[in-house]
Amino acid sequence: MSLLVFTLIFPLLGAITLSLFPRMSYGAARTIGTASVGLAAFTTALVAIFWSAAGGFPFIQTLWQWIDAGDFQVNFSLYLDGLSLTMLGVITGVGFLIHLFAAWYMVHDLEGKPGMARFFAYMNLFIVAMLLLVLGDNLLLLYLGWEGVGLCSYLLIGYYYETPANAWAAFKAFIITRIGDVFLAIGLFLLYVVFGTLNIQAILHAAPSVLAQGGTLANVAALMVLLGACGKSAQLPLQTWLADAMAGPTPVSALIHAATMVTAGVYLIARTYGLFLMAPAVHELVGIIGVVTLVIAGFAALAQTDIKRAIAYSTMSQIGYMFLALGVGAWQAAIFHLMIHAFFKSLLFLTAGSVIIACHHEQNIFKMGGLRKKLPFDYAMFVIGGAALSALPLVTAGFYSKDAIIWEAVANGHGFLWAFALFGALITSIYTFRLIFVVFHGEAKTEAHAGQGLAHHLPLAVLAVLSTFIGAMIALPLDDVLPHDMAEASHWVELFFEILAALVALAGVAIAAVLFLGSRKTVDTVVESHQGQRAWQLFHGGLGFDTLYDRVFVRPFRATARAHEKRDWIETIVNIVPALTRGANTGLAAGQSGRVRAYAMIMFAGAAVLLALLMFG
Amino acid sequence: MNDTWFQILGALPPLLVALSVIGLFVTLCIARHERLVYAMTVGGLNLALVATIALIPLGPVAVTPLYIVDFYTLFFWGVILVATLACAAFAMPYLSGFNDRREEFYILLATSALGAMSLVAARHFGSLFVGLEALSIPLYGMVAYTFRTRASLEAGFKYMILSGVASAFLLFGMALLYGATGSLAFTNLIPAGGYDADAGPWMLMGIGMMLVALTFKLSLVPFHVWTPDVYEGAPAPVATFLATVSKTAVFALLLRLFVSAPITDNAWLLTLVGVLALASMLIGNLLALRQDNLKRLLGYSSIAHLGYLLTTLVAGASLSIEAVAVYLATYVGTSLGAFGVVSLVSSPFAGKDAAHIDHFRGLYYKRPVLAVSMAIMMLSLAGIPLTMGFIGKFYILSVTMASGLWWLTGGVIVGSGIALFYYLRVMAILFMDRPAHAREPQLSGTGDNWAQTVVWLLAAATILMGIYPAPLIDLAAVAGITLGS
Repeated sequence: MSLLVFTLIFPLLGAITLSLFPRMSYGAARTIGTASVGLAAFTTALVAIFWSAAGGFPFIQTLWQWIDAGDFQVNFSLYLDGLSLTMLGVITGVGFLIHLFAAWYMVHDLEGKPGMARFFAYMNLFIVAMLLLVLGDNLLLLYLGWEGVGLCSYLLIGYYYETPANAWAAFKAFIITRIGDVFLAIGLFLLYVVFGTLNIQAILHAAPSVLAQGGTLANVAALMVLLGACGKSAQLPLQTWLADAMAGPTPVSALIHAATMVTAGVYLIARTYGLFLMAPAVHELVGIIGVVTLVIAGFAALAQTDIKRAIAYSTMSQIGYMFLALGVGAWQAAIFHLMIHAFFKSLLFLTAGSVIIACHHEQNIFKMGGLRKKLPFDYAMFVIGGAALSALPLVTAGFYSKDAIIWEAVANGHGFLWAFALFGALITSIYTFRLIFVVFHGEAKTEAHAGQGLAHHLPLAVLAVLSTFIGAMIALPLDDVLPHDMAEASHWVELFFEILAALVALAGVAIAAVLFLGSRKTVDTVVESHQGQRAWQLFHGGLGFDTLYDRVFVRPFRATARAHEKRDWIETIVNIVPALTRGANTGLAAGQSGRVRAYAMIMFAGAAVLLALLMFG
Repeated sequence: MNDTWFQILGALPPLLVALSVIGLFVTLCIARHERLVYAMTVGGLNLALVATIALIPLGPVAVTPLYIVDFYTLFFWGVILVATLACAAFAMPYLSGFNDRREEFYILLATSALGAMSLVAARHFGSLFVGLEALSIPLYGMVAYTFRTRASLEAGFKYMILSGVASAFLLFGMALLYGATGSLAFTNLIPAGGYDADAGPWMLMGIGMMLVALTFKLSLVPFHVWTPDVYEGAPAPVATFLATVSKTAVFALLLRLFVSAPITDNAWLLTLVGVLALASMLIGNLLALRQDNLKRLLGYSSIAHLGYLLTTLVAGASLSIEAVAVYLATYVGTSLGAFGVVSLVSSPFAGKDAAHIDHFRGLYYKRPVLAVSMAIMMLSLAGIPLTMGFIGKFYILSVTMASGLWWLTGGVIVGSGIALFYYLRVMAILFMDRPAHAREPQLSGTGDNWAQTVVWLLAAATILMGIYPAPLIDLAAVAGITLGS
């Protein structure tokens, strides 16, 4: 069990080694970077076995005391329970597969340029930070990991920093998530003031007695945590960074912007669920945010031409489902969908990466087309992943995880949210199969060379297996951590709603087939009409949030800055200090005449004043 | 052991230095050999240092009614000896281009160090005066040593004249106190009405006059005016000596006087001392603000540092003596390093004075280790964390705050804020591009490597003590206990 810390140590050693020798060969960097995460995954497996053999009780590993200042004590402690073990498995397991794939991908992406060690150093560091986030037994350690993943995300989005657009995308991601982080920090301060501790379990334990149900304090604290989660998980209103974050290498998109970091918000809310139970209004808001985001992101995904951006919007939408689950009290379903989503979304991203490399860095889906024959393996992988995303009935993992959420929404009496979620499911399968039909069907428009090698095939194959019903058979040890999903209804009612959801998904596929298989005349006519153009522009830009924020925040800010650039009264006030000091300097320096007579006079005068004060004071 | 032998044992370190001075005189009568003289000086000082360390287990020894060798004395002897050794190391390459007799410099240096050691151990006006003059008179010669340079000669005269004035104040003050108390020993300076009575105006006048003289040596405002001129004119190693050894010895004496003499236990006197401290730290830093000559700049900055140090005298808290010991040790170490770099880079015999800040521009690209050492020293003087200057500054702040002297705390903070400007300015210039026409830093051959090693060691110590100050603090704490008891 004390092996737990080694899940952190291996990637940390990897990151340090890779940073110390930035000029090492491709082979060495790939081996070190992948092996460190592989060892972490292996350790996780051992920990999981020992942990369940020992009865599955929460386990705390205190490494050292981190801060000891008066009443404020924080330990550097790792906390292992069913929830953190689940996250641990996803991070190291899926993380390892993505690292393995990256070992193939980056060779083709870098094409001999330096930077392999830098890439894997960032990736390993990300794994460390993400593990700290989920293993920290107090909110401060969690926050350390939270900022750490933010930093690594920034570094990896801007990995190809020679292109200014990538650097701007990195800035955007960092700054917008940072807004959420500030709220989270405020939430942490507030929780410390109220509870006198930052230990998560202690806070959850004390919450019912310390906070008033629905009181202002509980609502504000929960709202701060929620806003923090929104920033990291790209939910409304802080969702605009995720699509631009696709500037990073594709394995980064798979690991950070699909499987792990963006789901940290879901983890955070689940981890502090006791807080949300005390704040019903905010809890309700979680579900509403999720539903609105999932619909908006779905519409945006319909109008993307870049394969990665389309998948990015679908990630936002799927995290919206997770937020919905959290909001309706289906805590376990949220975490279950988090895991399944990690499987199929990494599969989709990695396959997209494989396709992009095969088509010589082409990302525009309308320039691909007909790849089914040239890339049969990629085609199979993409269909499996897409089917899971669309939650096609019975055979896919997504069916079991996503339809559970939709069912819980209606079963817990949120009919309104349910309707939106169902509508979202329809859009999901439309945009997913739009991608499949446009990229892999129709006439061929480009050359393509299929990827080769174990590092290419193995991760995709494993993730594909996990994206089918086999992945859904994984039972998560969450019963002792999170409340049971409360849905109570007769079996027949549940069956009815599940069949309904399945039909909606299938209907989406059918609609996509009608619209995008073949000549696409209908779509072209609609898009080329005047209203169609405007709708396309609106959806393509993520429903105008970027423009809105630009108008409301960025432009007034820059205008204010410009207006005060020349005549800034604050600066005038600040400038008094240097002016005074400079004046004093000039005045005093005048006294340093260099004449001994003057010096002696100053001495005598000083002595006279001093003695007079002493004697008569 | 016989009592006389015991006393001689206690006085062994200064006796060793005195012996080496006599040995130097004799040697110079027979043969003139610079290396030999240097080796004898450094050897004598090192022996004295070893003796000082060996004396630590001995416990307080009263050497005649004039001197006391306690742990406090030993601590400052150690500081003085190390600083003098460093000055000798800097003097060797500095003087190597001096086209005249170089050997006598080391005699003056050792004699002056002897005076400083005597001053630290003094507990009587007699030993105080002898020690102070033994410290100062060789210094006149050292300041004017490179007398062919006009500035050096001028500085020597200025220092001598003004020092003479200060000595007159000192003697008059002592006479007044002797008249009032009939004693010359520090501990017997009791107000006429007994321990708790107020000192009368004449006694206050006496102590005030002594204060004028001692604060002159410490270059505190308003008796600071000579400082920049003398620092600028003096050879860089001598300026180093002035800024470190001289200041340490006089301050150690001042503290001993204030702790042992009952008449200094006077609130109004302490308030006035506080005003001097406040004025020194503000005016010293303000004067340094736009200074372009590094020697002058360091001179002004030493005014401010002594001002910070003087606050401990006002505080009189139990932590004060420990704070003084820590602060002086860190200040001496840092100043040695900073002056060491200046003296290594500026050898005036190869051209005009090289202490101008422009000569340091881009030093990093020529002598990276030297420039980094200088940068570390600047950070330490500014009191940035992870350097030992921070530890010293921290002590000063905690002492003033613990005593509730908020006006002095405020002064230290404002002063440090102003100081940051010119320290960082020097630091930035080290790393700027060199202008094309700039003169190459002159570094002469002999003794150069040894002097550089000293600078590097000081830089390493500055960082090390900043991270792990416990040994220094422990030493200082013991020094504080022995004086306080």
